[in-house]
Amino acid sequence: MKNSPFLILAIAVLIALIGILSIYSSTFAKEGKFWQELFQRQISWVIFGLVCFYLISNLNYRRIWDWTYLLYFLALCFLFFVLALGVVRSGAQRWLKIAWFNFQPSDIAKLILVIFLARYFSRKSVDDINLPSSRFGVFRGLVLPFIFTAIPMGLIIEQPDLGSGLLILTSFIVMLYLTNIRLRYIFIFLLVIALASPFLWHFLHDYQKERLLVFLNPNIDPLGAGYTIIQSKIAIGSGGFFGKGWLSGTQSQLRFLPESHTDFIFATFSEQWGFLGSFILIGLYYFLIRQGILIAQRTQDAFGRLLAFGISLMLGTQVFVNIAMNLGLAPVVGLPLPLMSYGGSSVLTTFIALGILVNIDKTRSVF
Amino acid sequence: MIRIKIITILVACAFLLLIFGLIFLEVIQGNKFRALSDKNSIRLLPQSGARGKILDRDGNVIVDSKLSYDVMISPQRSGSREEALMGVSRVLKISQNDLREKIKKDYISMSVPVVIAKNIDIKKAIALEELKPDLAGVIIQPNPQRRYPYNSLAAHVIGYLNEIDRWRLTSLADYGYKTRDYVGFGGVEEKYDYYLRQEQGGLSVEVDHRGRSVRVLGFKPPKNGKDIQLTLSLKIQRIVEDYLADRKGSVIIMDPYTGEILAMASSPVFNPAVFVDRNGSSISDIFNNRDAPLINRAISGTFPPASVFKVISAVAGLETKKISLSKTFVCTGSTFIGRREFNCWSKHGEENLIQAIAHSCDSFFYKTGLLLGPLVIHDYALKFGLSKSTSFELPYEAAGFIPSSLWKKVNRFQNWYEGDTANLVIGQGDCLVTPLQVTRMMAVFANKGYLVTPYIVQRIDGKDVSVYQKKISYLGLKDSTIENIRLGLKEVVSDATGTGNVLSGLPVSVAGKTGTAQAPPGLSHAWFAGFFPFKNPKYVICVFLERGGPGYASCVLAKQIIEAMVNIGAI
Repeated sequence: MKNSPFLILAIAVLIALIGILSIYSSTFAKEGKFWQELFQRQISWVIFGLVCFYLISNLNYRRIWDWTYLLYFLALCFLFFVLALGVVRSGAQRWLKIAWFNFQPSDIAKLILVIFLARYFSRKSVDDINLPSSRFGVFRGLVLPFIFTAIPMGLIIEQPDLGSGLLILTSFIVMLYLTNIRLRYIFIFLLVIALASPFLWHFLHDYQKERLLVFLNPNIDPLGAGYTIIQSKIAIGSGGFFGKGWLSGTQSQLRFLPESHTDFIFATFSEQWGFLGSFILIGLYYFLIRQGILIAQRTQDAFGRLLAFGISLMLGTQVFVNIAMNLGLAPVVGLPLPLMSYGGSSVLTTFIALGILVNIDKTRSVF
Repeated sequence: MIRIKIITILVACAFLLLIFGLIFLEVIQGNKFRALSDKNSIRLLPQSGARGKILDRDGNVIVDSKLSYDVMISPQRSGSREEALMGVSRVLKISQNDLREKIKKDYISMSVPVVIAKNIDIKKAIALEELKPDLAGVIIQPNPQRRYPYNSLAAHVIGYLNEIDRWRLTSLADYGYKTRDYVGFGGVEEKYDYYLRQEQGGLSVEVDHRGRSVRVLGFKPPKNGKDIQLTLSLKIQRIVEDYLADRKGSVIIMDPYTGEILAMASSPVFNPAVFVDRNGSSISDIFNNRDAPLINRAISGTFPPASVFKVISAVAGLETKKISLSKTFVCTGSTFIGRREFNCWSKHGEENLIQAIAHSCDSFFYKTGLLLGPLVIHDYALKFGLSKSTSFELPYEAAGFIPSSLWKKVNRFQNWYEGDTANLVIGQGDCLVTPLQVTRMMAVFANKGYLVTPYIVQRIDGKDVSVYQKKISYLGLKDSTIENIRLGLKEVVSDATGTGNVLSGLPVSVAGKTGTAQAPPGLSHAWFAGFFPFKNPKYVICVFLERGGPGYASCVLAKQIIEAMVNIGAI
């Protein structure tokens, strides 16, 4: 697999195009300039994302090592800004209005945290390929990194954006696991979370509790919190094997499916393209993530390897959680489907992340 | 590294899980979800056609249909119900509390919509339809409704409409009838329901998540029911009903040659419109009324024919040559048969057949009856169509009954005595006939010799169906018999002492026979059956008054009716 950079680019562009088609199909029937132009905006985001991808992929990722703390600090600043003066939309304060677009800092914060953890658990020296973390004690290996993770995570959950928060938590656990931290610590950590969860339950917003309960049984509130998940399952299921055809999805176009262009874009796609299309789409995602993992496995440098793993698995988790949520296999948490869901910051972040991935591969081959 | 391997496998497993989820939803449960998605987005908006009109012989409307609208609300969406109720109450000007109480009262289950307002007019219906996207759960149901411009006129011939009952549903389900369908009960509405009923059409519309229609997927035009033209004459029917008024009884006017019914009235009447309004108390009033206003006495009521039956006895006597015109009997006011004394209603002296018919002399017929014997009388009665239905098209026609010695032996374990013959020959005892049977019997003398099949439906959807009804059967009577009976019937009216002499003052000459049926306890039933004009009869008339007193009462009513018919130029 010499051609990972090309494959990654090709798959990403393909998925992004599928995403644009799906956004168009879900919005073309809606009235209003905003809806009509939505797919065009997504096109410009993808183009912008590709530019970022190009730039980042040519920027030696080792430099990011030096910027890590700055980036971490910036991410925290953004998150504080959101808390202080963010735009409230559909009950959540997740966006920052920058110039002419709304920016969702939690997207980039996820990536920055992965970078941060990759750096934390590795050494600067390129030659020292052994991870230091296997010798870390509880404090350096678990408590300290968790504090660094918990600050942005807490800020994000507070927005409230439970999905991104949990994604960060998952990334943290995965990174811990991959850095050769003693398994015992990870088990301790999981145990603590498990024990704490009944208390954390009380900190959740009512709607989040509802969503979790509805996930267990969507029929407890079919017209309220369970509505989305029921409609999403109907949309996907009604697609059948071959789908209803492009622009013929009644669930998404007649607005039975809420958020059909963002979080539930997979349902929109699946309704129109059926099992066949969805199978191919999931396959594409799998190949994309597989390429990332392959890059990581090929990379000798500890930082690069951890970073590549972190990015791939974060993307993978996001894809998995989003599609599982569309299928009714996971509770509805507000996580976009990378590259497909409408949203500038999500598209940009994903392309940047892929750019880093590609750069790791390229830089490695230099050695 | 083992951890990397585990992670790689986990990722693959996660994606496999997604694929399995996808297979489960799209491939295994695909059809179910497809149906659910169609249910989401496809609404059927039923559109009703109008039930067929019922017209009189000249094409005047007796019954037609108008569209009315019912407002229903589905109790399912409790959240937005208050809002919907507010909208409905504003448009209909009914207070919200009333609506709420109505819902509480008529609530059946979550999924069954409750009717909150009936028969709203079209303007309000349109206003509500426009507001519908904001009125969650409100359904506006167009309902074509029967309109009765003449209220109860010809109600028994027409019948009424009501929700289909279990019995009818079981027998009609194969013809596409469903629960909650409205079907005809009684009369033409029941008999020809299949032709009259409209076919529901409708629009299938694709709607969005708020129920607003996006586009029309298909349209099946509703079909109106077929119109039915009756042989009934609205003008004559009105005269008949006006004069019958609220007396119990029945009047039939028929064309003696074809059997066309020109008027058929039964009293007491009911107003079929109460079944449209579904006013519970007036409906139960109808069902609980001891006088049974829903019964069409003209075809379903059976009564002793009394002296009207003597015509048949006379025919039997002449045909079997047991009596002739020159034969006379002396009426002394009573006749001993066996040890029992049978009274005549008067003391007529010596009478021949013509006089006996004119005076309705019982003694003459007792003696004739003894000469004939019960079997012959019974056979002639059956020959004239008694004791079985006339094959009239409207439902619930009664057959009536004429006793015979065999019947008495089998059912009562008694022998037939001569006294029974005496009762039979004057149409008393166990004899029962319907007014329609009497009309048909009398028509034989008007048309000089044949039994007609009465019918009331001329055309269905413009197509003449009467050809299927016009079955006549010649009785094979001698011309002289018919002429002599006609003479007798004429004498009933023209003889100064005839029982129907009251009819003699009319500008048309009427012939007929009266009857006073003893039915103790209480007053007797009054009969008059005849035809007019005598020479070339155009109409047969049968007037029957249940517990109306002597036959004279019926003659008076017949006179009023014929007079009015003359006045409108029907003769």
